[in-house]
Amino acid sequence: MMNAARISREQIEKKRTDRSARFFLTGGTGFLGSHIAVELLKRGHRVTLLARSSGAQRAEDRVRGLLDWFGLSESGRRGLRVVEGDITRPGLGIPAEDMRGLLFETDEIIHCASNTAFSERKREEVEEVNSAGLTNVLDFARESQAYFFHHVSTAFVAGKTAGTCPEDLVTPGEFWNLYEETKCRGEHAAAAACGEAGLGLTIYRPSIVYGDSRTGRSLLFNAVYFPVRTALFIRDLYEKDIRDRGGRKAAEMGVRFEADGSVHLPLRIEVAGEGGIDLIPIDYFTEAFMALMEGAPGGGVFHIVNGRAKRIEDIIDYSCRLFRMTGIRACGAEECREKPRNPLEALYDHYVEAYSPYMRDARVFETARSRSILERTGIVCPEFDYEIFARCMNYAIETGWGFRLF
Amino acid sequence: MIDESARKTAAQCRHYAMCKIDYLDTGLCPSGPERHYVAFYPQGRMDLYRALAEGLIPMTEALVEAADTCTLCGICDKQCHFVTGMRPVKVMEALKDHVREHLAAKKPVYKPKEDAVLKRLRTIVGDEWATNDPAILFTYADDPFPLAGIQMPRYVVLPGSRDEVAAVVALADELKVPFAIRGNGGSVFGFVFTEGIVLDMNRMRKIEFDTDNWCVAVEPGVTSFELQKEAHKRGYRVNAAEPAATVCGNIVCTGTFSTWSNVYGTAADGFIDMEFVDRKGKVFRLNDKSAPNVFAFDHAMIPSPGVCTKAVVKLHPVTDDEEGILVPFTSFDKAVAFARDLSRRRIALALAVLGGHYIANFMSPSGELAEKIKDVLPEVLGIKYLVFAVADAHGREAIRKMAGTAVIDSALFRTLMLGLPRLADSELAGIASAYEGDAPPYEILCSPEMRPVVEAVLQPSPETIAGSVDEDLREFYARLYARPEMTDMVWLNMFRIVSARMSRRKHMFAFLIYVPLDKIEVINGIISGFARIADARKIEHDYGFLTPMDFGKRAILEYDYYIDHTDPADKKKIADAMTEIGPWLDGLAAKTKGVTFLMYVFSQGCSRKENFLYRLD
Repeated sequence: MMNAARISREQIEKKRTDRSARFFLTGGTGFLGSHIAVELLKRGHRVTLLARSSGAQRAEDRVRGLLDWFGLSESGRRGLRVVEGDITRPGLGIPAEDMRGLLFETDEIIHCASNTAFSERKREEVEEVNSAGLTNVLDFARESQAYFFHHVSTAFVAGKTAGTCPEDLVTPGEFWNLYEETKCRGEHAAAAACGEAGLGLTIYRPSIVYGDSRTGRSLLFNAVYFPVRTALFIRDLYEKDIRDRGGRKAAEMGVRFEADGSVHLPLRIEVAGEGGIDLIPIDYFTEAFMALMEGAPGGGVFHIVNGRAKRIEDIIDYSCRLFRMTGIRACGAEECREKPRNPLEALYDHYVEAYSPYMRDARVFETARSRSILERTGIVCPEFDYEIFARCMNYAIETGWGFRLF
Repeated sequence: MIDESARKTAAQCRHYAMCKIDYLDTGLCPSGPERHYVAFYPQGRMDLYRALAEGLIPMTEALVEAADTCTLCGICDKQCHFVTGMRPVKVMEALKDHVREHLAAKKPVYKPKEDAVLKRLRTIVGDEWATNDPAILFTYADDPFPLAGIQMPRYVVLPGSRDEVAAVVALADELKVPFAIRGNGGSVFGFVFTEGIVLDMNRMRKIEFDTDNWCVAVEPGVTSFELQKEAHKRGYRVNAAEPAATVCGNIVCTGTFSTWSNVYGTAADGFIDMEFVDRKGKVFRLNDKSAPNVFAFDHAMIPSPGVCTKAVVKLHPVTDDEEGILVPFTSFDKAVAFARDLSRRRIALALAVLGGHYIANFMSPSGELAEKIKDVLPEVLGIKYLVFAVADAHGREAIRKMAGTAVIDSALFRTLMLGLPRLADSELAGIASAYEGDAPPYEILCSPEMRPVVEAVLQPSPETIAGSVDEDLREFYARLYARPEMTDMVWLNMFRIVSARMSRRKHMFAFLIYVPLDKIEVINGIISGFARIADARKIEHDYGFLTPMDFGKRAILEYDYYIDHTDPADKKKIADAMTEIGPWLDGLAAKTKGVTFLMYVFSQGCSRKENFLYRLD
C-alpha cells in the first residue's frame, strides 16, 4: 500500500541543498558506508552514525580510527555524531532516552549495514543482519520523522538471471548465494515498508566494489582481491620452499623459477567462454551514490555498475605481470577435464569457487536510469586497467590484506 | 630473603604430581624415588618455598635436607613446563639460596622431638619412614583446592607393606587418631587432609602380572602411568586414570574413568579383586562373601571402606591396527548424536566429544599457542567440536562411512600437531577465514588430494612444533616430538600425559556428572546451567568433554571452571558458585533419571557402575 509522501520533492531538494537534512547512517564502519559517511561530512552534511563496539573498542573509538584512516580533519568531523547501537537488536540497541531525540532529529536514513557472507553455513548470522536487522531499521524509519530511505543493495539481486537485469524490483527464481537472496528480499521489504510509511526510497545497486582507483586504498579485500591473494599464497609458499628448503615440495607440484626469476605455477582456472567480472572502484561508487541521491529526489532503483565486464584472462595477465608469475592460465571446461586437476588447482578452486558466478558473469545490467543522472554530472566509471590493478593490489599487500590498516 | 617471582611460581603449583612419574623419559628428580616423601620431589619443594615465604613453617632439619638434595638437574623444568608452562628450577634455586643464607647467618634449625606416638610408628615402619618434621608435614597439608584450608597432620608415615599399613591403622584406631591416605603423596581436590596421620603409599610399588587371568596386581603407590607402561610393554592395555594418579587410590575414590570407559566401563568394571585394611586394621578382600558390600551405592557422601593395599586390575587386549580418528562438527548436538551412535553400535574403543579448549591444549606445547589454536579451530577451520575415537581398521572404515564428511586421520593429526605453530600464523589462516564456500572450511584440510599442500604450508616437523616453546627448551622438545608416540592419538589417550594441560592457564575446578546420553536436552541444560552460574560470578569456564558409556545409554560429562587459586577474590567466587551448584545438581538428580554428580561417587569407586548410572531410588 502506498501512502502519501511525508514531504514534497521540492522540500527534499531544498533540505539537501541547504544542508539542513540530517542523515542517519547504518553500516558506517563498513567499506561502502564509511565512504558515504565521509563524503557527506566533506560536503557539509550532518551525519549520525550508528556503530557497534567491538571487543574492548568502543564505537566512538572505532569510528575515530576509521576517520583517521580517511584523513578527515577535525573540522570535517564537526557534523558527525556517533551513536552506539546494533541493528540486530530491537530499537537498534539504542537507549530509550537517546532514541526519543533521534526519532525527531532524523530526516534521511542511509542503510548500508549488511552481512556479505555467501555461504549457507552462515544463514543464521546473515539473516540476523540482512533480514531482521533491516526490519529493525525500517521500524525506526517508520516511527521517525524521516522522509527518505536510501537502501544500499547489490546489482546481484538479479540472481541466476540470463541476460538483462532491469533497474526495478525483481523476483528471480534462484540465486547464486545467500547474500543475493537476502538482499533481494530486503529490497522488497524496504519498498513495502517505505510505501506504507510514505517514505521516499532509493535503492542503490553496486556491482563488485574494489579500492580507490586513484590511490589503491581500500578497507575490504574480498571479491577481486581474493583470487589474487590465493594465487599469491601458492606462489609464496613454494617460492619459500625453493629458496629455504631446496624446493623438493615445489618440484613435486611442478613449481619452479623461470630464467628471469619469475615463478612458474601450473594453475589452470576454469572459465566459461562468455562473460567477465563487473568491477567498480569505491571512488566511483561514492561519487555515483552522491549524484544519484541528489539527482533523484523522487527515488528509484539504480544500478551502479561498470557495464564493461572485465575478462578473467586480463586479470590473470595483470597478476602475472605484477607478481612475476607464469603458468597461470584460463581454460575452458573441456580443456580442464583433459588432465586431472593438481593439488594447487584443487586448493585454488576450493577457495575461489564461491566467486565463480561473478568471474564469468554474463548478466547485463540496465543503466538507463542511473546513466541519465550520472552522465549529466560527468561521472564515469574508470576502466579496470593494469595501473589501477597494480595500485590496488600493492596497497592490499602493504596492509597485509587489511590486517595492518590502522 | 624471599624472591617474589619464585614465590609466585611456587604458589601456582597445581599439585598434579607429574614430577613424580617419568613420563617424558627424562628420568626423575634424583631424591624423589630414594626419599619418597613429597618434600623430596619438586612439588614438595615448591610448597616449602611458599610456606617459608608466608612464614608458615620454621627452618627444619628436613627442610635443609630437602633443599640440599636438589641437584638443580633441571628435569623438573621439562616435566612441569610440558603440562603447565611453569619453570620450577628457579624456585629450587631460590629455596637453596634461602636455606644457604639461613645457615650462613647461623640462624636456628628446628629439630622435632620424637614423641611416644612417633616412636611407635617408627617401630612399625622404620625410623626413616615416619616423621613429625613440620616441613615434611606441610607438604601434606595444603593443595590448590580453593575451598579447603591448610590442615597440618601430626605425622606422616610411609608404610612399605600391607602388614605395616594394617599395623599403623590399628595403632591409629587404638589411639583414636584420625588418618588420611595419599597414593603418591599428592592431593588436588582438598579431600585427603587430616590433623592426625597421613599414610603416603609411595613406597608400595609392586606390580605383578597374571596374564593367564588377564589381570595385574598393583600396590597402592603404583601410578596409572607406570602401570600402563608395564602393560603396554607386554602388549596389553589397562583403563587408566590421570597419569600421576595412583591406581588403587583412583579406583577407591571415583572408579577409573577415561575416554576408554566407552568400552572398559568404570568403577567395579575395572578390577577383579581388591584388598583393603579396614579401620580397625583388619585385612579383607572384596571377593570374599563376608566382606563389606562395597558394590552397592548410596547417593550420599560416605567414607571409603578402608585403606586399599592391592588392586587386581583387568588387562585388555590390543590389536595392531588401532589408530585415532577425529570427526569435526559445528554443532554440539550432532557431535553427541554421532558419538552415541558409535557407542551403541559398539564401534570404537576410546570415544569422546571434545571442545576446542581441550583439543587446542592437547595439541599445543605452549599455552600461548593453545590460545591461538582455540580461535583458529572455529573461526578459521569451522571446527567447534570433535568426536575423538580410537578404533581398529574396520571401526575406522565404519566411522568414515557414518560421518560422510571429512575426517582427521592419524596421519593428518600428526601433520597438524607437528605443524601447529604454522597453522596459527600462516597466511593459510587468513585465506581460510575469507572462504565463502558452502563446504565446511576444514574439509579442504582433510582432503587427501590436498595433503601435499597442507604439508608444504605447515612444514610439520619436531623443530616446527618445538619453535613454539622457550628457546632454551627447544632442543629438548624437538627430541621429544621426534618420538612417534608424542603425536599418536592412541598412545596419548592411553597415557593421558597431556590432560593436565587443561590447568595450564589457571587451576581447573572440574565438575563431573553422569548423564543420560539419550536426552540431549538434559545435557544441554547442565552445560548452560554451569555457564550461567559462572557468568553471573565472572568465573572463566568452558565445556570439557563427554564420553559415552554402557552402549551409549549413559555418559560422563565434564564441565570446567578456571580460577586463580591464589587469589582470594577467585576463591570467594567459587565458594559462592558452589552454594548454587550443589542444590541445583541435587535437584536435577532427584527428578532426572541418569543424572548423578560424581561427588557422590567419592569413596564408592568400587561400586557397580549400574548402581549409580541407573539409580532406582
